[in-house]
Amino acid sequence: MQGSWIYIVYALCVFMAFLFAWLEYRRANKRFLLLRIAAAIIAVVALACIILPVKYNSMVTKTGLHNTILLTAGFEADSLPNGIDTATVTMDGAIKKAYPKVKLISGPDELSNAGPLDIYGNGLSKDELAQLDSLPVTFHAAKIPAGVSSISWNDKLRAGEALHVQGLYNNTSAQKIKLVLTGLNTGLDSVTLPPNAQTAFNLSTTPKATGKIAFTLKADTALQGSLPVQVAPVKPLKILMLSASPDFESKFLKNWLSENGYSVALRSAISKGKYNSEYINIGQFSLDKLSAQTLDKFDVLIGDLSVLSTLSSTESDVLKQQVADKGLGLIVRADTAGKASWLQRQFPVDRPSGKEPAPASLIINGNKSGSGKLAYGSAHLIYQNGTQPLVKTKERVLAGSALYGSGKIVFTTLNNTFSWMLGGNKQDYTALWSALINKAARKSDEMKDDMQFSSLPVNNQPVTLQVSQSNSSPITINNELMATVQNAGVPFEWAATYRSSVAGWQNLKQGDKPGNWFAYAQNNWQTLQSAEKATATKKYANLHPNSQIVTKQIQQKVGIAIPKIYFYILLLAASTFLWIETKLS
Amino acid sequence: MTEQRGLHKIQGLRRRWIVYHVLEDVLLSVYAALYIGAIVYYLLSPSVLWGIIVFPVALIILLAINRPWQMSGQKIAAFLNKEYPELQESSHMLLLPAAELNPLQVIASSKTEAVLTDLQISHKPFAKRLVIAFFSLIVATAFIWALGKIFHIERIFYGNNRPVAECAPMPKVAEKVLPQISSVNVSITPPAYTGKGKREQDKFNLSAEEGALAEWHIKTNVTIKKAYLLFNDKERVDLKGGDGGTTWYVAKPISSPGFYQVSIDGKLSDLYYVQVVKDAPPVIHIKTPKQYTYIDAGEAPRVTITATLNDDYGISDAVIMATVAKGKGEGVKFKDYKLSFSQGFGAHNAQYDVQKLIQLPALNVEPGDELYFYVQAQDTHKQLSRTDVYTVSVQDTAELLSMNGIINGVNLKPEFFRSERQIIIDAEQLLKEKDSISVEKFNNRSNNLGIDQKLLRLRYGKFLGEEGEDAIGAAPGNDLADPADFSNGAKILKEYTDDHDNAEDAGFFEPAIKAQLKATLTEMWKAELQLRLYKPQAALPFAYKALRLLKDLQQKSRAFVAKTAYNPPPLKQEKRLSGELDKIIQPINKQDIKPLTDQMDALKKAVNVLEGLKTNPVLSAADNRVLQLANQQLGSKASAQPGVYLPALKAMRRILSATQANNTDIDMVERALQRTLTTLKNMPASGANTADMGLSKQYYKNLKQANR
Repeated sequence: MQGSWIYIVYALCVFMAFLFAWLEYRRANKRFLLLRIAAAIIAVVALACIILPVKYNSMVTKTGLHNTILLTAGFEADSLPNGIDTATVTMDGAIKKAYPKVKLISGPDELSNAGPLDIYGNGLSKDELAQLDSLPVTFHAAKIPAGVSSISWNDKLRAGEALHVQGLYNNTSAQKIKLVLTGLNTGLDSVTLPPNAQTAFNLSTTPKATGKIAFTLKADTALQGSLPVQVAPVKPLKILMLSASPDFESKFLKNWLSENGYSVALRSAISKGKYNSEYINIGQFSLDKLSAQTLDKFDVLIGDLSVLSTLSSTESDVLKQQVADKGLGLIVRADTAGKASWLQRQFPVDRPSGKEPAPASLIINGNKSGSGKLAYGSAHLIYQNGTQPLVKTKERVLAGSALYGSGKIVFTTLNNTFSWMLGGNKQDYTALWSALINKAARKSDEMKDDMQFSSLPVNNQPVTLQVSQSNSSPITINNELMATVQNAGVPFEWAATYRSSVAGWQNLKQGDKPGNWFAYAQNNWQTLQSAEKATATKKYANLHPNSQIVTKQIQQKVGIAIPKIYFYILLLAASTFLWIETKLS
Repeated sequence: MTEQRGLHKIQGLRRRWIVYHVLEDVLLSVYAALYIGAIVYYLLSPSVLWGIIVFPVALIILLAINRPWQMSGQKIAAFLNKEYPELQESSHMLLLPAAELNPLQVIASSKTEAVLTDLQISHKPFAKRLVIAFFSLIVATAFIWALGKIFHIERIFYGNNRPVAECAPMPKVAEKVLPQISSVNVSITPPAYTGKGKREQDKFNLSAEEGALAEWHIKTNVTIKKAYLLFNDKERVDLKGGDGGTTWYVAKPISSPGFYQVSIDGKLSDLYYVQVVKDAPPVIHIKTPKQYTYIDAGEAPRVTITATLNDDYGISDAVIMATVAKGKGEGVKFKDYKLSFSQGFGAHNAQYDVQKLIQLPALNVEPGDELYFYVQAQDTHKQLSRTDVYTVSVQDTAELLSMNGIINGVNLKPEFFRSERQIIIDAEQLLKEKDSISVEKFNNRSNNLGIDQKLLRLRYGKFLGEEGEDAIGAAPGNDLADPADFSNGAKILKEYTDDHDNAEDAGFFEPAIKAQLKATLTEMWKAELQLRLYKPQAALPFAYKALRLLKDLQQKSRAFVAKTAYNPPPLKQEKRLSGELDKIIQPINKQDIKPLTDQMDALKKAVNVLEGLKTNPVLSAADNRVLQLANQQLGSKASAQPGVYLPALKAMRRILSATQANNTDIDMVERALQRTLTTLKNMPASGANTADMGLSKQYYKNLKQANR
C-alpha cells in the first residue's frame, strides 16, 4: 500500500509526458519541435521528482556510541545534533526549567562513570572539572555573551597614584553602550563603546581616600562588577642631599620634602671645606664625611655631580657599596663637572652650544598628557642601552635611571624645576620629583603581599589562593586557620583553598601580617566568569580528548535526499521555455 | 402632531449626522496633529508644541471644508427614501408644511409618518466614517509609538545622546515634622532693599534673602513645656509660648546659611536647611567707547559713553568719575569731575541702559590732554561696583607741528618731512579763508593741495620701490624711435614692462618700517582723495595721521648705541678659595617640621568605614567614633552650603542612629564625601621587597662573583 501511490505517480507522469509530447508534435507551427518535446518531457519528469522522494546512497562515518551531553549556561539548542534526548543532562536548574526533558544531576561526580562527555555552553569551572575524574570530554564552546570579557586594573595603589582600568567589552547589542567607572556612588570616568563589537576600554581615576575601596564598573546602568582597590598611605622617606653650593633647586626640594613630613639632611658647601648643614625631622650627626653608617640611615641620596665626583676615594667606595649591595637610591643632578666618573658612565651628557631650546612641556614617566612648560636648559642625556628614560621632551631625554647592583642611579639634567614651584605649579613639581625619587628609593623592609587566585574569587565558590611568604607562619582567613600547601619547586609559595560565605572584603593573616582580598558577589563579572569557565574547559578537553571518536567510527550506508529546489528550478525553466516559445510564435 | 413627530425624527437624524461628522473631524485633526507633532518631535525639536498648534488649525480647516451643519433635512429624507423602501419614497413630504399638502400627499405623509416613527434607524451609515477615523487614529498612535520606541527614528539625526523633553522632576522629599506639631507657618520678610513683600510658607526648609527676618509660628496638638530652634548644632533660639503651650512663636534675622532643628520638649526634629540668597553687586557693561580711545586732530572732540547696568534687585545710583590729566612730564595736573547720567534712578529698576555724551572742551580737555573715567553704580543694598578705567586721549597737534628737532638739523632732514606739515597748514589756512574766497578759487586751491599731496606720496613711494616721479605724465615709447636702439631688447623691455616693486630700487628698510611707510602712503592717498573732492576738512584727519606716522618713522631712524659693557680683569685661579677659614663656624640648622594636619582626615577615614558598612551593616564602637568625627566635619560643610550637604548630613545621622545602616544613606554620604575630598598628593615612597627568602640577593651575589 505504501509504495502503490508511487506507481500511480509514475503512470500519471508517463501519460502526461506522452500527452504533452503529442500535443507539441500536433501543433501546426513546427518551430523548435524537438526542443519543445524535450522541454515538455523535462517538465513532467521534474514534476514527478518533486512528488517522489529522490535519494542517493552514500557512505557516512558515524560515531557508534551515543555520548552523554552536558548542557551548561549559554548553550544554544540549535547546536545540539540530535536535539534534546534522554542522554542530555545538566547541572543548571534554569536549563532544566527551560527544557523539562533534560535530566538534572546534582554534580559532575555523577557523570564520572558515564561514557565520554559532550559539553555544550560555557563549560565547567576548574573545580567542577577536577571532579570529572579525567573523563574524556568534547567541548562545544558557546559564543562569548555581552559584557566585560576581560579586565585588569592595578589593585594595590599608593596614595596619589591613579587607578587604571583596562579591559575588553563585548557589545552584542545594536546600540552604543556607555561604560561608567563609579566610586563612592559618583561617576568618575566613562567611555562610549560602539555597537556590535568587542572594544578595548581604558578608564582611570585617582582615589581620594586611603584604605579599602570598592569601585564599580557599570554598562549603562547594569552592574558589571566591583573593582576592589587597596590604597596604602605613603610612608615618608629619609633623604640626604649634598649640594656643591647653596642653590634654589636644593632649597625648594628640601622645603617641599620637609613640609610633607619627610626627613631631610642637607649639606651644602659654602666654602672650601666649610659646609652648611641642615637637619629636618632627623637627629643631628656629622655630615663632613660620608660613612656607611650615615648612608644606612637614608633611603635616597640626592647630590650634585660635582660633589659626588670629588668625593674622596674611601667615601666613593662606601657610596658604591651602599648603592650596589644595600640598594641605596642615588639621584645625580648634572652640572658642568664633566669628569668621567663612575656615575656618568651610563649617562653621557650632551650640551649643544647655541640658543637654549624654548620652554616645553615634559613627559614625566611616560605620562602623555605632559606637564606645564619648563625652560629645561640645553643639557640633555644621550640615550644608552640599559638605561630607562624617566623625563623627556619630545626630542630629548632629561632624566633617566639605570641599575647599579641592587640599587638604582637616577641621573637628571634638570636644574630649575623650582621655577614651577615659584609659578605655583605644585602639581608638576610633585609629579616630577615623585617620579625620580620613587624610582630611586631603597626598597623598604616590608614584604609585598603577593596574592594570586586560581580563578576569579567569587563568593560561595571555592578558590585557591597562592600567597608568598618567606617563613612557614600560619595563614588564617577570616580567623579560620588554613591548611596550606607549600609549592615543591618554589619554597616561598603557599597555596590554600577557601570558600567565602559573604561577598566583599576577606581578611587574610600571614602570621602577624594583615592582608585583604575581595570575594566578588555572584552577579559580578558574569561574562568574565563564563569566559574563564570556557578557557578552563577547553584546557581540560585538550588534556582529556575523546579518543573513541577516532576508533569507533562506523561506515554506514545512508540514503540522502536530493533537495527539491533543483527540480523546482528545472520545472520552472522548462515551463518558461514553453511559454515564451508560444508567445514568440 | 403626528407630523411633528416625523419631522422631529428627521431633525434628530440630522443632528446625529452633524454630531458624528464633527466628531469625525475632531478625530481626523487629532490624527493630523499626532503625525505632524511626532515628525517635529522626533526630527526637529523635542517639544510637543507643534502638535498642540496643529490640532485647532486642522480642525478649523476640516470644519470649513465639510461644513456638517449645512446638512439639510431634504438630504436626510432622500437618504431615508433610498435606504428604507417601506417609506415609499415619501419621507420628504414630512418636511413640507401640512397646509401646503394636497389630500393625496396628506395620506402619503401620514402613512410615512407612522412607518417612520416605528422605524429603527441604525447608526451604521452615520457612524461608518467615524469608526474608520477612530481606527486609523489608533493605528497612527501605535505607529508613532513604534517609530519612537522600536525604530528609534530620532537617531537618524541625533544619535544616542539627544536630550529628551520628558525630564522627570526631582522627587520632592516631604519634610519630616515632629508629631507634636500640628501646623507651622514661617513668614519671611525680605529686607527693604529687595523691594519684595512678605511671604509665608508652611515648610521648615527656607531660603531667604540676606538680612531677611524669618518668623516661625508653630502650633502643636498637645500642650508642650518648652520648644526651641537649634541652628547649626550650636545656636539656640527659644520659642515663646502662648495659648497655654500650644502656639509658639519666634523671629530671627537670617544672615548666614546653615541648617536647624526644632526641639520640642527635648526631642529634636529632622534637619531643615536655611539658604541665604546673597545680593550681588551691580554689573556694569560699557559698550562704548573702547578701553583706549584716541581722538585724532580733526575728529570731533566728544565721547559718548553707553553702558548697561544690571542688578538683581535695583540700582539706586550711577555716576561717571572722570579725571582730566593736563601737562607733561613733572608738570602734570589732574582735575576730577563727577558726571551724572541724564536718567534718574529713582525707579530702582533692575536694569538701566544709560548714555552720556561728554563734550571734551566742556571738561577743559585740550589737545595733548587725557581723560580717564570709570562708571560707578550703587544698588539698593548700598553695594558699590565700578568698571575699569577707560582712557580717552586727544592728539596734540601743537607737538606734531612743532619744529623741535627739525630746526637744528635742517640740512639732514629731507624736504618731504616738512611737506606733509605744509599741506596741513595750507589746508587749515584754506579752511579759514573759505568764507572770503570764491568757491572756484577754493576748489582750485584744494585741488592744488591734492596735487602736492600726490607728489609727496610719490616721493615716499620711491622708498618702497614704487614707480618714480619721473614716470608721471611722460608718454612711453618716444625714445624707442632711435635707430641706434634697434633690437635693443633690454630697452624695449624697460619701456613696456612695469619695474615697480623692484627690490633693488627699494631702500634697505626693516619690514616693520616698510609696513609703516605703506600705511603712511595709504593715509596720504586718502587725504589726497578728500582734497581732490574739495573737502579739505575731511582730508585733515588723514593728513594728520600721515604726519604722525612720519614722525614716528623719523624717531625710528635714529640709531641706538648701547653702553659698552664692563670687562673685569681675569681671575687668578690659584688665589681662589685660598683665604683663611679657620675662624669661620659651620652653620648648622636643625628643625622639626610636622606635616600639616589633614583637614579631611576624618572624612577620609569615614570612607573606609562606609565601604565596610556595605557588607556588614552594623557599626562597631571604633567605627562609630570615626563617623562621629566625620559627622562634625559634614556639619560644618552643611552650615556653609546647606543645599548641597544637608541631605548627606541627614543620611549620616540616620546611619549613626540606626542599628543597621541603610544602603541608600551610605550612597548619599559617599557621594558627598567624593565631592568634598581633595585628591591625594602623589608623594614619593619606597617599594616593597618580594617575599623570596633572599633568593634575589643570593642571585645578585653569585652574579657578582661570576663577573669577577
